[in-house]
Amino acid sequence: MEIKKVDEGKFVVPIGPQHPALKEPGHFEFTVDGEIVMDAKVRLGFVHRGIEKMAEQRTYTRDLYLMERVCGICSHVHGTAFTLGVEKLAGVTAPPRAQAIRVIIAELERIHSHLLWLGVAAHEGGFDTLFMYSWRDRETVMDLLELLSGNRVHYSANVLGGVKFDINPVQTDQIRRGVDYLEERTQFYQKVVTTDNTFLGRTRGVGYMSREQAELQGAVGPTARASGVTRDVRVDAPYSFYPQTPVQIVLDDGGDLTARFIVRIKELFEAYRLVRLLLDNLPEGELATRMPRRIPAGEVISRVEAPRGELMYFIRSNGTDMPERVKIRTPSLCNWGTITSTAVGLKLADMPMLLAGIDPCFSCNDRMIRVRRAGEPGVMTWDQIKAGKGGWSV
Amino acid sequence: MLQGFMTTLKSILEKPVTIQYPEQKRPVRSRFKGRHVLKRYDNGLEKCIGCALCAAACPADAIFVEASENSDENRYSPGERYASTYEINMMRCIFCGFCEDACPTEAIVLGDNYELSFTSRTDAIYPKDMLLEPVPEDGSPTPQKVPAGAFDRAIPLMQDATD
Repeated sequence: MEIKKVDEGKFVVPIGPQHPALKEPGHFEFTVDGEIVMDAKVRLGFVHRGIEKMAEQRTYTRDLYLMERVCGICSHVHGTAFTLGVEKLAGVTAPPRAQAIRVIIAELERIHSHLLWLGVAAHEGGFDTLFMYSWRDRETVMDLLELLSGNRVHYSANVLGGVKFDINPVQTDQIRRGVDYLEERTQFYQKVVTTDNTFLGRTRGVGYMSREQAELQGAVGPTARASGVTRDVRVDAPYSFYPQTPVQIVLDDGGDLTARFIVRIKELFEAYRLVRLLLDNLPEGELATRMPRRIPAGEVISRVEAPRGELMYFIRSNGTDMPERVKIRTPSLCNWGTITSTAVGLKLADMPMLLAGIDPCFSCNDRMIRVRRAGEPGVMTWDQIKAGKGGWSV
Repeated sequence: MLQGFMTTLKSILEKPVTIQYPEQKRPVRSRFKGRHVLKRYDNGLEKCIGCALCAAACPADAIFVEASENSDENRYSPGERYASTYEINMMRCIFCGFCEDACPTEAIVLGDNYELSFTSRTDAIYPKDMLLEPVPEDGSPTPQKVPAGAFDRAIPLMQDATD
């Protein structure tokens, strides 16, 4: 590892871009005084894929599949956010059964994402037994998703105007059984995470973020809720089938890593409750309505609650069958800011846990924004880009 | 400490949750979307009529279809035309199943083969003979010589799939 000397007694430890604690690319620079982190810098943009630009050259149907591939874990919510936005532009509402199925898949995906996170975070904390247990149990929910959609990761449940597949009574029973098993296991995890002394030593009081700080830095999702911020799109602005099945917001005032574990585990229970409730009250009816090929001109902002927090889509249509602009803002991007401030004063060894604590998804959040100042040309040459001129930021 | 040993002992008696993959295979679910198969009718004629609706529906532009005219001497499929070239680029394909939904004759079906591998980019393009299913027992291979007017209708009567 290369260590740059900054000033007397202080060093900059660069970590990444390959494999910084998590198996995704990101670069971090921690200024350390001995063991204690004095300053943290995050550099992103290693997995920029130009998805927003690609979306402008494809029809809405094709974009739907592209959007599902923004994130490998929460593929369904990306699809849902895009579909809800386009449906709003077109003035179409999906039938109630389709809305309910969308929510079921979203909650199953939340279970899958939180269990995955529990494993990753436990692994970063050196608790590999919990990692193996939670990933073993994650297979249950992945099998359920495969049962429903045929795929383990990219379910592609959405189509514009509805969903692709139905849930039959046999599958309902299987989902219920799977959820019952997971609930029992999650109770065990809750006990482990809140009582195991060795593990608590790594999480209690680490990465404390006050409520004011979380609000100031715009934290979203479980990271914000673990600091007591009441921020959940499912509650604040219910979409799809959430108005009919209200979500009980999960809050914790701890603000540290333990609180983030507790919030996510409690959200698992909430997701189990929602899945059961929806399976009991699945409305009858059609799976999809007709969508026009050309979407009327207009702009829309569509917000949904991804497992990691608020996901926002901005779609501008110009009346053709392709969007004029799609802007995606993923929850991980909002939570990065909290890392740089909470890291100060912690030990270098706590950094992997702290990074894992916000459940970052690197490839989700890499997009490019160019702030164009007055008088600057709108087009840049390849040489200018290579020279780094023109105020590009990632 | 004894409790710890008990946990270990209990785990020894449990069945392992892992599967020894290449030797053991887990059956895929009925909705699984694996490698495409081009279906045939019982008499061996291809279901694909070369309409290229699958290529139009494909979100990843993975399918290329070129159609040619059928004749009663050289009949590949019912109706006027058949697919003389049918290629799927497996590196582009995202296995969404849109081609299956678009097909008017249920010719293309996503099967349950997930073991795809190739050593070069050109090998990733699967031509028609790799995608076509084998000729059924009481059928004969295409092109067939058929009596005139027997297979003029391209699209068969269909019913909804159950799952």
